[in-house]
Amino acid sequence: MAKTILIVDDSASLRNVVAIALKGAGYSVLEAADGNEGLKKLDGAKINLIISDVNMPNMDGITMVKEIKKMSSYKFTPIIMLTTEAGAEMKEAGKAAGAKAWVVKPFKPEQMLDAVSKLVSP
Amino acid sequence: MSDGAIEIFIQEAQELLENMEQALLSMEENPEDEDHLNSIFRAAHTIKGTAGVFSFDYVEKFTHVVESVLDNVRQGKLLIDGGLIALLLTSKDHIEVLVDAAAVQQQDPDEKILDYDSQLVSDLEKYLKETGDDISEKSNGNYVLETPNETVGNESDHVEKVVNGKPVASENWHISIRFSVEVLQHGMDPLSFLRYLQSFGEIICTTTILDNLPKYKDINPEHCYLGFEVEFHTDASKEKIEQAFEFVSELSTLQILPPQAKISEYASLIESMDDEHFKLGELLVASGALTQRELDEALKIQNDILLTPPDTDKPRIGEVLVESKNIPKEIVDAAVKKQGSAREKLGSSSKVLRVDADKLDELINQVGELVISGATTNLLAAKIGNEDLLETMSQMSRLVEEIRDSALTLRMVQIGETFNRFKRVIRDVSNELGKNIELQITGGDTELDKTVIEKIGDPLMHLVRNAMDHGIESKEERQASGKSATGVIKLNAYHESGSIVIEVEDDGHGLNREKILEKALLLELISEGQVLSDQEVYRLVLEAGFSTSESVSKLSGRGVGMDVVRRNIEALRGSIDIHSEMGVGSKISIRLPLTLAIIDGFMVGVGESCYVIPLDMVLECIEMDDVNTNANNAEGYLNLRGEVLPFLKLNEVFSEKKLLNTNGNIVVVEFAGYKAGIVVDELLGEFQTVIKPIGKILQNLRGISGATILGTGDVAVILDIPNLVQRMVQESGVGNQSASTANTINNIH
Repeated sequence: MAKTILIVDDSASLRNVVAIALKGAGYSVLEAADGNEGLKKLDGAKINLIISDVNMPNMDGITMVKEIKKMSSYKFTPIIMLTTEAGAEMKEAGKAAGAKAWVVKPFKPEQMLDAVSKLVSP
Repeated sequence: MSDGAIEIFIQEAQELLENMEQALLSMEENPEDEDHLNSIFRAAHTIKGTAGVFSFDYVEKFTHVVESVLDNVRQGKLLIDGGLIALLLTSKDHIEVLVDAAAVQQQDPDEKILDYDSQLVSDLEKYLKETGDDISEKSNGNYVLETPNETVGNESDHVEKVVNGKPVASENWHISIRFSVEVLQHGMDPLSFLRYLQSFGEIICTTTILDNLPKYKDINPEHCYLGFEVEFHTDASKEKIEQAFEFVSELSTLQILPPQAKISEYASLIESMDDEHFKLGELLVASGALTQRELDEALKIQNDILLTPPDTDKPRIGEVLVESKNIPKEIVDAAVKKQGSAREKLGSSSKVLRVDADKLDELINQVGELVISGATTNLLAAKIGNEDLLETMSQMSRLVEEIRDSALTLRMVQIGETFNRFKRVIRDVSNELGKNIELQITGGDTELDKTVIEKIGDPLMHLVRNAMDHGIESKEERQASGKSATGVIKLNAYHESGSIVIEVEDDGHGLNREKILEKALLLELISEGQVLSDQEVYRLVLEAGFSTSESVSKLSGRGVGMDVVRRNIEALRGSIDIHSEMGVGSKISIRLPLTLAIIDGFMVGVGESCYVIPLDMVLECIEMDDVNTNANNAEGYLNLRGEVLPFLKLNEVFSEKKLLNTNGNIVVVEFAGYKAGIVVDELLGEFQTVIKPIGKILQNLRGISGATILGTGDVAVILDIPNLVQRMVQESGVGNQSASTANTINNIH
């Protein structure tokens, strides 16, 4: 069964690009626009990897990661944070929250695919 | 895969291909246009990338070849021409066909298209081969040309695999990784990293390390106790391998050792690198043998060690690296060696800075102006008499003086290089002449103005050739006269009171007085019965036309171009002395001013005008007392503490009105061993001055070497002391009496 990846980002176009790339590589993809929606999507689904932006309305990425780490069924799920070049602090905050992987924005779909494939194979 | 995404891809690809076509057509007219080239490259690159995402392998593979060619063009390795543009246009059409087959019809391209495909690829590869760039080399791990299905191949396949013509045999990377216990808690699956490795290489062998595995009852299922030793085969860089473990870098210890073959490759790569990396670590990182992370860690270790025992020597980064087993010693050694040679080059290159001579001249000119305006300010300050202002001005004058000196030394060049050129000349000419001649150089580090150096080369060449040809005797002659068979020519340079003296000396037979006289008579330079001192005789060889007659003797040649030599030296405000002794040798000394731009002058007032005497020629100033004035005034010489001192009155020479009623002062000057007095009205003191050449109309005036502008805006004339001294010496006849001293050779008019 294909591994499922949840992508949480407030930019629909970014979600779209990433989704296309991931689907092309054989993953199945779920999308969420913010932290709240992301947590909702996790509920009841079986998700193997979470990709999340940091800056989002309603609930930001760091808060969401902290929440996820509290969930028994997802506390061991790898999380990739999307950080910006300048956001070294954000990267550290993400790591502290429990997201040990990251991809620096802007990225090419190949780079995302590369990062994902280090953690989960399709 | 959703159809929607594919549609976007098709649309995007079509747009890109269209752009590519347009850009290619524009490039046909303007091959240099980088914008177009970049947009073509981007088109190919994007299509390749997206095709990869959609697994349109044929599109990706073909576009990759196109991209490689374009990349080479972009890097300037390949020149774009009509043929290449045509090929790229066909390739673009072909990509369109491939995209169409893959995306629209959802099938693999048929055989006909594939045939065409391989034909185009081989055409494109021809261009790649031109640059020596093989595409398989280009796959830096991002795109592997072989279809991924093949990666499972067995080990024996690899033993025979040949990459870039070099057999790599069983040369594998050795990756040693120990995961920390919490790696699982962060959602990291150790196996996924190994799986990821397989995307750009092949894992030959994996050994699982269970050393950390606790007893069964102590095992925490959420903890990871594993480590792996992996034999990994790839063409990718160390960096790329390390990146595979990027996300666990904090959660594991990692060591990546290069294959044996790679070690020598790194070593030779380090050898061939540019000299821009001077730190050992940088050098290693640049070569790819060490990754930035490894370097950072080693630096940290190095610093930690440094912190604990403060007395111990700081361990060298190379030692730390070898110790940490991140890098084989061979590579570090190669890098250390390279570092040494790079430092050497850096050392020598940083000592010399090439500067446009015009810029220097401009600077010196400006400094000259600064000197003048400084002098003006000084005069003003003196007039106002404000103590503080005078204080500041004297400080500023000192600084300006220093700046002037530094600016002038910028133009100073050691004469050694000019001298060294003669080594070759001497070797060649002595072979030609069948004489043994040895060159001895001294004072090569003496510095003088670049302009002077440039102009002194030819005269020196004349002198050296003459010395070899006519000065030094043949072997037989030398042995007959009891000299060693090897003749010696000495080139020497040294500073002497504001001048530089360059000597060309030989141990030949010297100048033959009789023969010169004979020749001079023939040329009517002298008249029968004239009595001449040795120096006057030698001076004759510098006369124009002296040497043109072919046959008088070997000596006649001694004057080849000597008048040209003389004129060149005079143009540099220099003079020539000749010393000679029959049978022992001769010495020609060229005396040149240190610099042509600025002099320290001694200003004197005569009548209404100011004159400048070069300070380094001024010996002393004395008052024109009654005794002296009355004594031998008429004869034009006076008694300086028992010495005969010829003198001249400037006001007479330059027809100045005598304004002051004093007897005046005498400035005693010396040039080339002669002393003379110059009678002036007033002594105005030291004065730095920039020499402004006097115009063409005045340049034939004797006794004047230049002019300068005073702070007041007046013009002061710089006296040509050598010429004046010469005049006095000749008129007073002192020169003839002191035949033992060096003679100054000047124009005989």
